[in-house]
Amino acid sequence: MRFLTKFSQVRIGLLVTALSTSALLLSCQETGKDKPADTAAVDLNAPLTGTVTAELTDAPLVPKPLTYNTPKKVMVELEVIEKVMKISDDTEYTFWTFGGKVPGKFIRVRVGDLVDFTLKNAADSKVVHNIDLHAVNGPGGGAEATNVAPGQSANFQFRVLQPGLFVYHCATGPVGMHIANGMYGLILVEPAEGLPKVDREFYLMQGDFYTKGKFDEKGLQPFDEEKAIKEQADYVLFNGRVRSTTGKNALQANVGENVRLFVGNGGPNLISSFHAIGEIFDKVYMEGGSAVNHNVQTTLIPAGGSSTVEMSLQVPGVLNLVDHSIYRAFNKGAIAQIKVSGEENPAVFKSNK
Amino acid sequence: MENMKRFVFLILLFAASIGAGAQPGRAKGKPMHTVAKGVYEPFFRTATTMPVPVAAFRIDEYAVTNAEFIGFVKQNPAWRRSRVNRLFADKNYLHHWATDTTLAPADAKLLQAPVVSVSWFAAQAYSRWQGKRLPTVAEWELAGNGKPRNIRFDSLTDYILDWYKRPNPKVLPPVKSTYLNQYGLYDMHGLIWEWTFDFNSFVGSTDSRGNTTDEVQAFCAAGAVNVKDKTDYAGFMRYGYRGSLKGNFCIQNLGFRCAKSI
Ligand SMILES: [Cu+2]
Repeated sequence: MRFLTKFSQVRIGLLVTALSTSALLLSCQETGKDKPADTAAVDLNAPLTGTVTAELTDAPLVPKPLTYNTPKKVMVELEVIEKVMKISDDTEYTFWTFGGKVPGKFIRVRVGDLVDFTLKNAADSKVVHNIDLHAVNGPGGGAEATNVAPGQSANFQFRVLQPGLFVYHCATGPVGMHIANGMYGLILVEPAEGLPKVDREFYLMQGDFYTKGKFDEKGLQPFDEEKAIKEQADYVLFNGRVRSTTGKNALQANVGENVRLFVGNGGPNLISSFHAIGEIFDKVYMEGGSAVNHNVQTTLIPAGGSSTVEMSLQVPGVLNLVDHSIYRAFNKGAIAQIKVSGEENPAVFKSNK
Repeated sequence: MENMKRFVFLILLFAASIGAGAQPGRAKGKPMHTVAKGVYEPFFRTATTMPVPVAAFRIDEYAVTNAEFIGFVKQNPAWRRSRVNRLFADKNYLHHWATDTTLAPADAKLLQAPVVSVSWFAAQAYSRWQGKRLPTVAEWELAGNGKPRNIRFDSLTDYILDWYKRPNPKVLPPVKSTYLNQYGLYDMHGLIWEWTFDFNSFVGSTDSRGNTTDEVQAFCAAGAVNVKDKTDYAGFMRYGYRGSLKGNFCIQNLGFRCAKSI
């Protein structure tokens, strides 16, 4: 259904181009219900204005805002790597990754871009992998075009038609297991005019993990499919590891700055009640889409979904970012931190202790 | 399109079999065992898939080793790494060997390990040279389902999944290093993946899945509704693995063993 709607938008776009009547374009946009103008029609016939290679980053880093404002061909290459890494200080887990870390590399493109996507599967991988990007209009979000055996690679192209913050993940069967092992990441599609400027941007992605041993049990812990099916997570984590983003690894910012967080939720099972302890989100791009809510305390992030949140930092201290399903934060690892440095601001907050 | 692919494939198969020398070099008494007739339930259920009756057949006790494969390429120069046609084996063909016909001295322990990084065409040619053939998916699955004889674990699925969950070892262990099953077969799971004759439905009609869309969906999320047993994660992964292959792929954890009709 959703696909059909998008399909007709593209068709309208084509029609508009064919007739190239600006009057028609205007009326089309005006009657385009509540669609923001920038998504009304990506002109599929407009020439691409060059080729760029996408900057890819590991969490918590985010690629720099895009400086171009006409559609380009964007080259993206991700390698699937299966690897044993620490899930906690004394606990290891065999993660399956897009690019060697959990979450996978952050991809940043602009609406209208043509993405040339190559998925490699490392030669020493045990199993087959693929990728389903929620930013794709096409079969399986790319999954059908990218079922790659170890040592092989696959390529496909897609046109970015809608702005937003989208999850990508592996969709090879059994899908749950591939996601549970860490196969997810985010692709940001900037609107044509870009996002408003902020001082800092960070990348956080929540995921739930299921191990044979209990939380923090030492040694290499295998995936537990029983617990995954029962949705009894041992770990609920930001960025794939207990304490990935706390203490000396906390995100750094200063009083007076505006911070934007790109937050995804890979699942496989749990919905996140994302909350900053001691801050209010000034803006929330709900579910990673175009609608902006203001002054939000806690925002829901569906499994396989996202949220872009922004906050201005008024006072110094450590801001805890949590899944407010609170046992997850205190007993399963769902906590990240922003260390805010700067002068006290008693006009906003003053302790009288 | 599908017919075209099949046609091209048959030509390649024909060409490949010419490449395999005329004089069979049967390994003296590599043990084979009989798997009794049975029924293979295709992993992915569609309107067209039916349980497949499988006649009794013979199958190698263990996978073809590097040592055995060295014997093959020595007698069949067309299958040497430096000469093989790229249509029949991609650039990773036998890339773990030091030369066309030897392993590096440091890799001597690999002689008794299964040969990997061999294409379907090469495996097929070897089998013919042996007067044998590759097992079908149905045959392989039936053989692979045999109950373990010499190890204890709660379920075969758990054992297999445990293997899938571990990264490939730095050095591949020798054949007969995992477990023995009720048919007398070693290492059906836990050592390598193995080629099957009809690994992909574009090869002939023994596999009735046919419909590529259905097949593709089986290992994408959309197909989960039609899977026979949703908890058979191991079967799911073998299905997906086979679906990702092409006949000339050479992969470092993929080898083969031979079968024979009775
Ligand atoms: Cu995967």
